[in-house]
Amino acid sequence: MNKKSFISVAITLALICLVWIILTPIFFPNTQADAVGTAPHRGFYAPVFSLNTPQGEAHSLSSYQDRPVLIFFWASHCSICKSVMPGLEAVYQDYAQQGFEILAINTTNQDHLSAAEAYFQSQGYTFTMLVDQDGSVSDQYQIHAVPTSVIVNPDGKISDLIIGSGISEGFLRAHLDTLFTKGGQ
Amino acid sequence: MFPMINIGPLAIQAAGFILLLSLFLGFYLTGKFSTNLGTHAEAIENGVLIGVIAGILGARLGFMLKNPSLLLNNPLNLLSLTPSMLDRSFGPLIGILAIIILAQKKHLPLWPTLDTMTPLFLLLYMGVHLANYANGNAYGTPTGLPWGISLWNATRHPVQVYAFLLGAALLLGLLIHTKMLKTTGFMRSGVLFNAAMAGIAMITLFTRAFTAEKRLLGRFDVYQLSAFALLLGALTLLYKRAYPDKQRISAIISMGSNVEPQVKFSQAEKILSEQFRIRRRSSIYQTEDVNQRPGVQPFLNRVLEIETALSFPELVTQLKAIEKQLGRIQGEKTRVALDLDILTYGDDVFFRADHHIPSPDLLKYRYLVMPLAEMSPDFRHPANGISIQEILYKITDQAQIIRINEVENGIKG
Repeated sequence: MNKKSFISVAITLALICLVWIILTPIFFPNTQADAVGTAPHRGFYAPVFSLNTPQGEAHSLSSYQDRPVLIFFWASHCSICKSVMPGLEAVYQDYAQQGFEILAINTTNQDHLSAAEAYFQSQGYTFTMLVDQDGSVSDQYQIHAVPTSVIVNPDGKISDLIIGSGISEGFLRAHLDTLFTKGGQ
Repeated sequence: MFPMINIGPLAIQAAGFILLLSLFLGFYLTGKFSTNLGTHAEAIENGVLIGVIAGILGARLGFMLKNPSLLLNNPLNLLSLTPSMLDRSFGPLIGILAIIILAQKKHLPLWPTLDTMTPLFLLLYMGVHLANYANGNAYGTPTGLPWGISLWNATRHPVQVYAFLLGAALLLGLLIHTKMLKTTGFMRSGVLFNAAMAGIAMITLFTRAFTAEKRLLGRFDVYQLSAFALLLGALTLLYKRAYPDKQRISAIISMGSNVEPQVKFSQAEKILSEQFRIRRRSSIYQTEDVNQRPGVQPFLNRVLEIETALSFPELVTQLKAIEKQLGRIQGEKTRVALDLDILTYGDDVFFRADHHIPSPDLLKYRYLVMPLAEMSPDFRHPANGISIQEILYKITDQAQIIRINEVENGIKG
């Protein structure tokens, strides 16, 4: 390619790209509004559910409106779950008064309820344990592995969905600090 | 959707697996390309690895700086082995900075090094988009098209797949053009990298339109605007690299002869100085035949730096003509009237079956390296950045060399 044809090709390409940028908001107007549905993904409203504690007390996600909630899917045979839960308890102790709630959903269809309950009580956790007896809430949240952590902001939207050990005490503290002190998300 | 890959009891997150796989494949291709081009494979691979590690550490450090209470609470948070608490802007910045510092320390030449890394960049681009597809991030706008995918309550453009496939097409183009990373033809250094960057910019600019979660600046998507800036930058650099100011190219050529060498040298230099500006020249060195063939007269050698407006193939033809004019017989190996070879051509790195610039002989033969070290003591190999002293130190050729005359090592003619 000689110099002149290179310049004309380059200018043509740049112009086509510029036109595409200008046309984008016309072809795909305000697609942000699309993400107001309910889905187990960052930016969407968290799917609502209602589950019982081992003692039979019902808890519904909708009753935690205007409060930050961590939905934590776990099983008693999961060593990573057990390694992060003490950190969650520490955060819960510090932030519960400000309205922070942890709903620790045991994936009971893949666990033994007695073993899960025994572990939970032996550790003296003070946050709420819920029993997903038939795995329907796990399905609703498309859980493929435990632990999976879903952080729900006061507006009911999912701000983070973390699979595995990424849900650390420090990460959660930083998130809540930002939420409570700056009032932002 | 395939967010997890189950191998027996092991469940690996597909997104992370895809990213690792693309890094690994990119590493492999870049290593292969580097060996063929003669760039510093070891330094490049180490640099990328250290860059990745520095990036991760930098991301953690950035997160701690933004949330200082965490560090005060428990300093061990800094070293906590979790894949979270990573700052996404600080990390890459530190990683890139580490790579730049390492590259400077190793004196890696910018454009040949970036050319070598182009397959890695393309594979990472593809990997990021495929990983997004695997975990449902950066999803597309709703569509009625038959290839739409069902995701997050709607049938959507598989925009991550668009970007992945277009990236793959770009990589395929690169592989075809370089004959599976074996040659760059006479393409000048930096052309490959800037062309790839322009391609990536156009793909991003095009596919971002189909992405649902846009980051708007006024009416326009920030990613599209950044991609446009990248496109303009890449095209400008591409133009500068592909069509340089030819007057300025300096080439180092070697001269050798074992048939009346002193006479041939002065005749050759006379012809050369009529056609080119000679910037510098070395002393003349005498060396035994490197192949130690019986009855072969010792050779005289010297190197010269010339300034030329000719393109590389034109320069080759021109030098061949001078060789012929002074009685070189093609194919005659033991009685060489005059041998003129191009050792370097500007800062370019060419790799073709018949021509390899910088000449591989530059890393092999003492009779070239010694005069070059004398003429340009601060010379660095244009492909791998190794200094002439280091080349001289590492060379295995043990042929006896005598400097037989002194000339002023200065600008002449």
